[in-house]
Amino acid sequence: MYKYLLCWKYLRGRYIALASVVSVMLGVATLIVVNAVMAGFATKMRSRLHGFLSDIVVMSYDRNGFANADEVTARIREIGGDDIEATAGTMETYAILRFYVGGSEVTKEVKLIGVKPEERAKTGDFAEFLFDENDRPAPASFEVSEELRKKTSPAAGVLGENMDDDILNQALRKQALDDVPPRGAILGYAMATARDPEKHRDEYLAPRGTKVMLVFARASKRPEPATDEFTVVSFFKSGMSEYDSSIVFVPLERLQFMLGMGDGEGRGAVNQIHIKLKPGSKADLNVLARKIQRGLERLRPLYFKVATWEEMQGPLLAAVSIEQDILNMLLFFIIAVAGFGILAIFSMIVVEKTRDIGVLKALGASTTGVGGIFLGYGLALGIVGAGTGLAGGLLFVRYINKIEDGLSALTGQRVFNPDIYYFSEIPTRVEPWTVAWVFCGALLIAVLASVWPAIRAARLRPVEALRYE
Amino acid sequence: MNNQYNVRIDALETDSTAPRGKRSMTAHLSARGLAKSYRKGKTEVPVLKGVDLEVERGELVAVMGASGSGKSTLLHVLGLLDSPDRGAVDLDGGRIDDLGDRKRDALRNQTFGFIFQFYHLLPELSALDNVLMPLLIRHGPVGYLAARRTYRRRAEALLDRVGLSGRRTHKPAELSGGEMQRAAVARALVGEPEIVLADEPTGNLDAANGRAILELLRDLNRERELTMMLVTHDSQIASRADRVVRLVEGRIEEFSAAPEGSDFAASRL
Repeated sequence: MYKYLLCWKYLRGRYIALASVVSVMLGVATLIVVNAVMAGFATKMRSRLHGFLSDIVVMSYDRNGFANADEVTARIREIGGDDIEATAGTMETYAILRFYVGGSEVTKEVKLIGVKPEERAKTGDFAEFLFDENDRPAPASFEVSEELRKKTSPAAGVLGENMDDDILNQALRKQALDDVPPRGAILGYAMATARDPEKHRDEYLAPRGTKVMLVFARASKRPEPATDEFTVVSFFKSGMSEYDSSIVFVPLERLQFMLGMGDGEGRGAVNQIHIKLKPGSKADLNVLARKIQRGLERLRPLYFKVATWEEMQGPLLAAVSIEQDILNMLLFFIIAVAGFGILAIFSMIVVEKTRDIGVLKALGASTTGVGGIFLGYGLALGIVGAGTGLAGGLLFVRYINKIEDGLSALTGQRVFNPDIYYFSEIPTRVEPWTVAWVFCGALLIAVLASVWPAIRAARLRPVEALRYE
Repeated sequence: MNNQYNVRIDALETDSTAPRGKRSMTAHLSARGLAKSYRKGKTEVPVLKGVDLEVERGELVAVMGASGSGKSTLLHVLGLLDSPDRGAVDLDGGRIDDLGDRKRDALRNQTFGFIFQFYHLLPELSALDNVLMPLLIRHGPVGYLAARRTYRRRAEALLDRVGLSGRRTHKPAELSGGEMQRAAVARALVGEPEIVLADEPTGNLDAANGRAILELLRDLNRERELTMMLVTHDSQIASRADRVVRLVEGRIEEFSAAPEGSDFAASRL
């Protein structure tokens, strides 16, 4: 019983020892906050990557793709069976984007993706990421609306209801068509805007209605350039800056036609097929991907490459996970340092308490009992430190955005710059197991740090301890 | 409370009609050829060089001797705080110095009560908790909590007995030297030991307080038929013992029964 009484009294009476657990507390709190934020980022990033890529992607090694997309899709559906919710063929190629801002030319290299919007919307998060200039959701369509045409082109505005086929109207119509090409394009948000560093606001360089020109290589034995013009109809804002700064969506049929790989009416080559599984499907993605790979191998050997979305983003996901592991390791050293603090302070306390230990032994306390006092003391300090750290860390995570606002107001500078991440808020995710591990690890370190002083205390011979002045 | 003690005192008075100093067949506590030396650097310093001593049940023995003569060491070895290099310690005729740690711990806790020159109270605990410490050590949480009322009452009664009724919640730092030693006496007795070993219990107190502590010990010795060994420098104090033992250069030099007239009980009259 005396062990508990003394642990309790020591815990309450010795502020120096409590000081040593402040580092345990800070370490635990830091670990929890960092893990929550990193897990939040990783989760958000994964969901965005996943949303962009659907579940499984069938690609052809040949960039010019395959014309028998219907046959391939049929084979995929045959293999996947009931697990497959939707498929979407796409054509991906590289291009140069050109448009004018106030008379000066803007040029960017882009990834040009030809899609059928209604198909694409079924295989992944596509429609969810489309916005107009005012951040209102835009329809998943390439259609250039009459309203947009009239707003943008003076000629189209003049045309109005007067549909007489006289020379003037013909000229106006031609002018309107020239101003606003009838084919829509969806531009990556980061490409269409520029950040105003002073107002902290994105200004549109290419608002809706802007005419953009795309230059790309035709599919032929000797690639030759082709150009096409599109009207910006909406913006793609996924939150992954890699995508938002490089992707342009155009209608699949038009792209196939311009590349010389289709008839412009929906029959043509694609070089990717996105596969979306039914929600709640229990099929293992990797197993299914290998199965599809084998099935397609029979259709055309060494031509198709099947990958899950995780495999396609493998290096990025692995990098994030490694980052988190390394950070955890480094931060755990903080707690280990705190452990040495406890060790030092405990050794001092043992020296200071030498005579009391002698007294306890003279009164009949056993060796293990005296050791138990200090082990228990270490455990108690660990619980206090890790407990307050846990509570503090979780509170910090809970109010992290308010804290960030406060810090930003205080320093006059955004601590968390949403320009980089496109997150209006810092994403967090508290994983109970991580928290449990951190807590137990900290306790373990506190107890380990008190083992040596406890053994020293326990081994003190009562006479020597009593003689100690 | 007082009544309880009166009864016990009466019982002891009857018992003490038998003449003191008469040896029974087996001594309560005895030393046989105790030797103990300490190492100071490379040289060995012998402290006890073969001590033979027998203490009867209920006897108050004063151990005297010059500084460094081994008084404290003898007390520590007898009380199992230290082990002898040679020789043996017997309790009621059975050897106890070679027992295992557990049994030695238990004997220190239950059979012996220690009183030190510098009181050695635990600074974090109140006087009452300090007094309770041997019982806290003896019992686990369950056993202690089950009987805590009884134990508290016992400790409080002892604090009353040593005159610290109003000081139960005071920390050692808030007590005077005399008060701390009274609390230490209560602590030595709370476990109801058979033998009390006191190492210069008055050595750090002024004359008046020292006398008071000695009176207290003498009274307790009679009330409870406690066997007591008292290490002291002060021959006046020693003269109130039943018997004085002098340690000279690690050996018992001299036994002397205390003169009848200087017996404390008699001198009080």
